[in-house]
Amino acid sequence: MKIRIASLAVFAAILSDSPASAEQWFWGVQAEQLEWRSGEGSPAYAWDLDAFAGTDEYKFVVRSEAEYGTNANAFETLENQLRLQVPVSTFFDAVAGVRYDSPDGGPRRTYGVLGLKGLAKQWFEVDADLYLSEYPSARFEIEYEGLITNQIIFTPSIELDLPLADDEATGRAAFGPKLEIGGRLSYDLLDRAIAPYVGVHWERTLGESGRLVRDEGEDDDVVSFVVGFRVMF
Amino acid sequence: MLRSKLLSAVFGASLSFALISSGAALAAGSHDGGHKPNTGQPGDAAKVSRTIEITMYDNYYEPQSLDIKEGETVRFVIRNAGEFVHEFNIATAAMHEAHRPEMMMMVEHGVLEPDRINYDAAKAMQASMGHGMHKEGNSVLLEPGKSGEVIWTFPDTGELEFACNVPGHYETGMHGPVKLGN
Amino acid sequence: MPKRLLRRAFVLGAGLAGALTSAANAGEYNLTVDPVIVDTGTFKRTGIGYNGATPGPVLRFTEGEDVTINVVNNLDETTSIHWHGLILPFDQDGVPGISYPGIPPGETFTYRFPIVQNGTYWFHSHSGFQEPDGAYGSIVIEPKKREPFQYDKEYVVQLTDAHPHRGNRIMRNLKMMPDYYNRQQRTLFDFLKDAREKGVDTALADRAAWGDMRMMPTDIEDLQGFTPLINGKSTEQNWTGLFKPGERVRLRFINSSAMAYFDVRIPGLKMTVVQADGNNVLPVPVDEFRIAVAETYDVLVQPKEDQAYAIFAESMGRTASVRATLATSEGMVADAPELRKPSLLTMADMGMAHEGMDHGSMSMGGMSHTMPDGRAMQGMNHGAMNQGQTNHGTGQMSDTHKMPDGSSMKGMSHAGTDHSGGGGMPTMKHDGTAMAQEGHTMPDGSIMKGTSHGGMNHGAQGMMAEADSFYAPGSGLTPSAANGGKFLSYDDLRAQKPLYEYREATREVELRLTGNMERYIWSINGIKFADADPIRLKYGERVRFKFVNETMMTHPMHLHGMWSILDTGKGKWNPIKHVVSVAPGTTVFMETEVDAPGQWAFHCHLSYHADSGMFRKVVVEGGPKDKSAATTTNMKTGG
Repeated sequence: MKIRIASLAVFAAILSDSPASAEQWFWGVQAEQLEWRSGEGSPAYAWDLDAFAGTDEYKFVVRSEAEYGTNANAFETLENQLRLQVPVSTFFDAVAGVRYDSPDGGPRRTYGVLGLKGLAKQWFEVDADLYLSEYPSARFEIEYEGLITNQIIFTPSIELDLPLADDEATGRAAFGPKLEIGGRLSYDLLDRAIAPYVGVHWERTLGESGRLVRDEGEDDDVVSFVVGFRVMF
Repeated sequence: MLRSKLLSAVFGASLSFALISSGAALAAGSHDGGHKPNTGQPGDAAKVSRTIEITMYDNYYEPQSLDIKEGETVRFVIRNAGEFVHEFNIATAAMHEAHRPEMMMMVEHGVLEPDRINYDAAKAMQASMGHGMHKEGNSVLLEPGKSGEVIWTFPDTGELEFACNVPGHYETGMHGPVKLGN
Repeated sequence: MPKRLLRRAFVLGAGLAGALTSAANAGEYNLTVDPVIVDTGTFKRTGIGYNGATPGPVLRFTEGEDVTINVVNNLDETTSIHWHGLILPFDQDGVPGISYPGIPPGETFTYRFPIVQNGTYWFHSHSGFQEPDGAYGSIVIEPKKREPFQYDKEYVVQLTDAHPHRGNRIMRNLKMMPDYYNRQQRTLFDFLKDAREKGVDTALADRAAWGDMRMMPTDIEDLQGFTPLINGKSTEQNWTGLFKPGERVRLRFINSSAMAYFDVRIPGLKMTVVQADGNNVLPVPVDEFRIAVAETYDVLVQPKEDQAYAIFAESMGRTASVRATLATSEGMVADAPELRKPSLLTMADMGMAHEGMDHGSMSMGGMSHTMPDGRAMQGMNHGAMNQGQTNHGTGQMSDTHKMPDGSSMKGMSHAGTDHSGGGGMPTMKHDGTAMAQEGHTMPDGSIMKGTSHGGMNHGAQGMMAEADSFYAPGSGLTPSAANGGKFLSYDDLRAQKPLYEYREATREVELRLTGNMERYIWSINGIKFADADPIRLKYGERVRFKFVNETMMTHPMHLHGMWSILDTGKGKWNPIKHVVSVAPGTTVFMETEVDAPGQWAFHCHLSYHADSGMFRKVVVEGGPKDKSAATTTNMKTGG
C-alpha cells in the first residue's frame, strides 16, 4: 500500500511539472597552463585555466590567467573573467562577460568582454576577444595540438594582445602589441586528467608598448623555459 | 540432347536437383578424388521390399533415422509437411557437403525461394549460365504440401545420411543417419 | 535423441496440464537492483547489477506465459527496467517519463505482462547511465512450437563494454572534449608513414581534407578504453561453455554494450545464424558477423573436435577484444587471435562519395572499391576473396583470383591496376565483358560458361559476394571475415516466418540522423530530444521510416513496442528486428506496423548518443481503448 501511494505521488509529480526533458548540466575544469617559468625574466608561476558549468545552450566559464613572480612575491598579472558562451555556429560560441584585472602594484581594471571561441578548420583552437573599457584592447589566441603519439602531444600556441588605447599605468600603448609564443611538449600521464609538460615560452612586447616596458627597466623580449601540468577533470 | 532432357526435367512435378553444366559430366568422374563411395543406386520398383514414409518438417525429418538392411531396395514416400522447400537426399556426409554450395547457388539465382521453386528463374539460370537441374535417383526436392518418391537400392556397407541441403537446413539439424545392417 | 527434445516435450506437457487446471500459464520472478562491484581483472569499479551481479540473471520465460516480475530498487536513485525487444503494453515498457515515472529508491514495482513471442532478448535500466554501469541481464523465451532447428546445448553469450569510468563521468568528459576517449587519432608517425607510402602531397591533402571538416577518420568508436566482456568475463577471466564433440550448440549472442559494436567469430567453426533480434531467420551459415549495440543473433555451431574453440569478439574500431572459450572440459583455454588493424573511415562514410572527393588519397579499408567517379563497383567484394593472400597494396594482382574454396575466378583484368591508391581502378571491367568470355571455375571443377557479370548480380554465393549495400560504397567500415569467408550482411537476413502480411506502407517518415560531433550533441532531423515534438503515429498505419545517416558514426536505432521490419528488398521475407543499424553515409528503410497504442521511446541505442539527444518519443494515437492508458496521455517526457 505504501508503495502504491509513493508511486502515485511521483506519478503526480511527473504529470504536473518538468519540461519536455530538462537540459542537462555539465561542468569541467581545464588548465592549459599550470607552470613554473624560469629564464631571462624573473622566475614565476603562471596559469591559464577555465572552469565551466552549463548546458548545450549556455555555458558559464570562469577564466583565470596569472603570473606570480617569486622574486617580488607578487602577481605580475592577474586576470579573472566571468564569461557566458552561447553557440552561434557548428564550431563557434559567442562570448560575453566581464574581466577584472587585479595585479599587485598595478591598477585595477574592469572590462566588458565580447568574443568568439571555437574550433577553426584544420583543428586550430581559436579565442578572439574584445575587451571594452576606457582602455580597450583585443586579444587573439590560437592553439594547436600536434600528436606525436596519442599520448605525447606538442602544443604550439600564439597569443597576441593588442591595446587599442594608451594605458601607461599598465605599460601598454595603443597598437603596441604583446606577443606570446609557446611550445609545450606534454605526456598524458593519467587519462587526459594530468599531463606533465616541458616547453618554451617567449614574450615579446612590440611598438610603443615595448618602449614603456623598457622604461620600467624590464625586458621587452623574454624567453623562459617552462615546466608544468595540463589538467582536465 | 542433354540440354532438352534437362529442360524437360525442370518442369517435372517432383525433382531432384544437382547443378550441372556442359563440363560437369566430365568433372563428375573426378568427384571425391576418383574414389566415389558406393552409396547404392536407383532401385527397381519390382525389387522394393518395403515402403518407408518420410515426413519433412521445418527443419527436421520424421523419422529421424533409418534402419536399412544391407542391399535392401526401399521405396521412400516423402511428404513435405513444412512451410518451406525441403530436400530428401541419400548420400555420404561429404557428398552432402559438396552439394550445398550448388543449392546455395540456386537460392542466389532465385530458383529456390524459401517456400517455392521458381521455374522461371530455373529456366533463366539455365539459359544464362548453362546450369540446369537434372534428376538423380537419390533425391527429391519438394515444395510445401507436395509429395514425392525415391526408390533406392542400398549398398551392403557405407556411412550414409539422408539430408536436406537447402541452405541452412543441414546445419540446423535436418539430417539423419542411415544405419545399414543385417 | 537429444535431451533437448525430451525437455521440450516435458515443458509442452506441463503447459498443457497447466492449461487444463488453471486459467493461464503464469510465472512470478523477482529482481533486485543492487550496487555491485564490476571487476574485469584489469580494473574494479562500483556499478549497478541485478540480484547482486552484473550481468544480471538469465530470465527464462515461456511463450504464452503471463509473467509477474517484482523489481526492488536497492539503489539510492530512481531506476527502471526496460524489456528490450518484448512486445507488451506500453505502461510495462519501463522507460521513465514515457511509460511510467520509474522506480524510486527503496520501492518495489511489479511488472505484469503476457509473453507473446519467443527468442533471445535482454533487459536493462532505462535510467541515466545505469545500463553502461552494469544494469543489464538477458531473457530467453521458450517457444510454444518446436523450433526449426535442433541443438543439444545452449548458452547466452552476452557482450558488454565495461569502462573504468562510470557513465556520468564519461558523458561529462565527452561534452568537455568529444575526442576525450579517442586514443587512435592519427599522429605524426602516421603522417610520416603515409607520406612515405603515398607521397607528401597526398598525405597532406588527406590531412587537409579531414581537417577541413574538423573530423577524424579514426573516429569509429566515440568511447575507447573499455574492457569487453562475455557474460561478465574478460579474456583473462575466460568464460567457458562446455560441449561434447559433435553436439550442436546454440549460442545466443546479445550485445548489451553501451557503445561498442563487435565483429564475432569462432575460428575453426562455421556459425549458422538462425535468429536475429529474437525472430527466426532462414538459416545462414557464416564465418563471422557484426553485432550492433542492442542486437541479438542466435547461431548454431557444431564443434566436432575434442579441443578448445575461441569465441572471439573484436570491437568494430579494433580498440579492444574479448575471447571466451567453448571447451570439452573446464580449464581449457582457446588461443585468442590477434586484434586486427583498425580501418579508417573514408569520405564515403562522410556521405561524400558522390561529391568528387579525391579518393586516391583516402584509405579504402581494403575492401569494396570505389571507382574514380565515386561509383561503387557493385558485386565486387574483395573481402570475400582470399584477401590475406592477395596484396592489394602493391598493385601486383594476377589475373586469377583465388576463391575461398580454392577454385579460381579467371579473366578479371586486374593486372597492372594500381590498387595502392585505394580508389582508382581504371582498367577494371565490371560490365561483364571481361568475364563473359572466360568462364568461372566452379567449386566442383566444372566451368561456368557464358556468364555475364550483369547476370551475376544475385550470383554471389560462394564465389563472390556483393558489396554490402548496408555500407556506403567505399566505406571503411565494410566488414570482411578474418578467414576470407562469409561475413553476415543484413542482406542475408530473411524472416523465417513473416509476422505481418506484406503491404505497402501507408506513409513515410524521414528521420535524418544528425549530430554535432564537436559539441557532442546528437539529434534527429537536427533537433535533439529536449527540444523535439513527439513523433505521432496512427494505430493501424504501416509507417515506412527512412533513416538518412548524416553523421560519421554508426547508429543502432531502436523503436520500442513495435517491430522494425528492415527493408532489405526481400518483400515479405524482410527480416523483423528491434534494432536497425544505420552505417554512416547510408540511407536505410524500415517499416513498422503500428499495432501498439500508447507512447514509446525511439532512439539510438548508443547510450551517450541517446542521452545527448538522438531520442524521440513516439505517440501512437487511436487503437483499442482498453490498451491505451488515458491517464498517462498528458505525461511529459524526461527519459
